[in-house]
Formats: sequence, C-alpha cells, structure tokens
Amino acid sequence: MLERIAEIIKEQLNVGDVEITAETKFKEDLEADSLDLFELVMALEEEYDVEIDSSDLEKITTVGAVMDYLKDKGVEA
Amino acid sequence: METKITKLLGIKYPIIQGGMAWVAEYHLAAAVSNAGGLGIIGAASAPAEIVREQIRKTKELTDKPFGVNVMLMNPNAEEVAKVVIEEGVKVVTTGAGNPAKFMGAWKEAGVKVIPVVASVAMAKLMERAGADAVVAEGTESGGHIGSATTMTLVPQVVDAVNIPVIAAGGIADGRGFAAAMMLGAEAVQMGTRFVVAKESIVHANYKEQVIKAKDIDSVITGTSTGHPVRQIRNKMTKEYLRLEKEGASLEDLEYLTLGALRKAVIDGDVVNGTLMAGQIAGLIDKEMTCQEMIEEIMTQAKELLNK
Repeated sequence: MLERIAEIIKEQLNVGDVEITAETKFKEDLEADSLDLFELVMALEEEYDVEIDSSDLEKITTVGAVMDYLKDKGVEA
Repeated sequence: METKITKLLGIKYPIIQGGMAWVAEYHLAAAVSNAGGLGIIGAASAPAEIVREQIRKTKELTDKPFGVNVMLMNPNAEEVAKVVIEEGVKVVTTGAGNPAKFMGAWKEAGVKVIPVVASVAMAKLMERAGADAVVAEGTESGGHIGSATTMTLVPQVVDAVNIPVIAAGGIADGRGFAAAMMLGAEAVQMGTRFVVAKESIVHANYKEQVIKAKDIDSVITGTSTGHPVRQIRNKMTKEYLRLEKEGASLEDLEYLTLGALRKAVIDGDVVNGTLMAGQIAGLIDKEMTCQEMIEEIMTQAKELLNK
C-alpha cells in the first residue's frame, strides 16, 4: 500500500522524487498546505473507492495515518 | 434581484461583505445588512466573549440577517462556534481552514454554513460535509489568499458543485458583479470596497491608502510561510519581503507582523502596519455609505445584465 500511496502523494503534491515512509509528515516534511491535503483526499478517494470525512482530516498528519485510516475503512493492505 | 443566495439567506441584494479581521465589526456589518446585503462580523482571533458582544451590538443596529466569519486557525474557534449558535446567528462563513468538525452542530442549530474555498477539491469536500453554499475566493482578494484567480476559480467551482457559489476577489462595482453572474455565481462577496465605507471604523489613514492605491500597488507577503497575504506595499512589506528573500525564520517574520493589522486599522500607522486590500483597490476612489455603494453596484449591474 505504501508504494502506491507514495506515488499518489508525489503526483498530487509535486514533491519530486523524495523518500516517503510511514513516518513522513505532510505539513512538516512535504510542505503541504491545507489545499494540497484536499487534493490528496480527492485522489485517495478515487483510488481506493472510499469516502474520507473532512472532519477526519486533522487526524491524518502522516503517511502512516493515511494507511491506518484506509485500513479502518476496509481497504486491503 | 432574486438569486439562490438571496432566497437562502433572506436578503434583498446578493452582496455579502467579507469577514475582514479588525475591519468587519458591528458598525459595518449592520450597515451592510441594513442596505440589503449581508453584513458579516469578522471573528478573526478575537476571544469568544468579544464576538458575543459584537453580535449583540449588531442586533441593536439591524433587524436584518447578518453573519459571523469564523477563522478556523483561531485557537478560540471552538468557543466562537458555540457563541454563534447561542446568539442565534443565522449565517456563518468560515476562513483559514476546514470547518468540517463544526458543521454538524451548526446545521443542527439551523445555521447556514458558507465556507470560503480556494480550490475545486475543497469546494467539493465542503459540499459533501453539508455546506449550504461556498465563497469561491480568487487571489485578487486582500488578506489571506489562495493562488487561483477569480476568473478561473468561479466557473470551475460552479461546474463542480450543486450548491450556490458566491464569487469573491477583485469585485468592487457593477461590472465586477455582472461578470461574476456571467461566471455562474449567485452572489458576490466584497471586502476592499467596504473598507472605505463611511460606516467602517477603519482609520482615515488606512482608507486614504486604499483610495490612493493604484492597480499594481499590492504585494503578497508570507508565501514562504504557507500563509500568503495580499496587502498594499509600504515600508513594512518591503522589510518583510527582504527578510523572506534572505530566508528569515518564521519567528522573525512573525515578529514583524505581530499586531500590525491592528496598528494599521485602529491606530492608522500606514508605514509599519499591515494594509490588507485586494487588487481592485485601484478602482476604489471615494468613501460612500454602504447604502450608496450597494445601490450604485446594483443599478450598474442590472443595466449590464439586461443589455
């Protein structure tokens, strides 16, 4: 899952070829602002066919948190 | 003029006043509402009890609908969100963040929720979270801004959502109003024009700078911090941009702007203060009452739209 999510992040946030791990923080490490996160949510929803509640956004601060969130929503790892 | 927004909010004209920090206090909000638009109290970073007082004072001056802009980066946002409900405010606009966590409580209390958005993705997610309308705000605006222009953002948001869209950024007269309608908006939000309203408590020096400003007199500071702000250039912005270019720390930059908006709006320090204003400031050339402004805009817009 990490590999695919990393691809989506790189594409959405235009961060180039950086290393993305479960610990990567969107704001601090990738300099994503709130608008970037909305773009990312739309892309993840499309990829995994889930609905990400906007009120959950503040909990999703790292790549690992995204993976946990998606797993909770029933997405297969 | 009747649009989806005038019906939704129970107002006469589809003109909404921006929730500008320090500027959007009760005198201005009440004057805009009394003139048939929707006045807005800008809660900015004010403590919740100050916001309550502002709401009560607005009610003393108008029996028309008005709203409160809740700035979500404000550490007091949660309390302000509650005060809005307790005081029976009918409309909330939100800025600087994601209002989703307050949406449930507001909707339950019958508050109409209108987030300010700067992208299509944000507009779509806000619609899904229950927003009644969105303000699509272009980068022409004063204060905190996104990067898409009003001309490009408004039609794209209109196409992406089924709720009404309010256009903001660069609108100050009947031509801008009519253009926004052509882009599919159901109302406009204006900030800079109302800064120089006769009823606005903004210091005369600040108003003079807005009136004197030309088309290219605004600059964007803070791009490096992730929170870009459009304002009229002065000694402070020159220093800020120099520091920013040199890669100064966030602390140094914040030190420069600490209290700077208050300094400009209240104390009239137009040299060291923050003169937030949109690019349309160049078009604004005199102080008028809110009533005069709104009537003038609507007369001009109706003429253009009926052509």
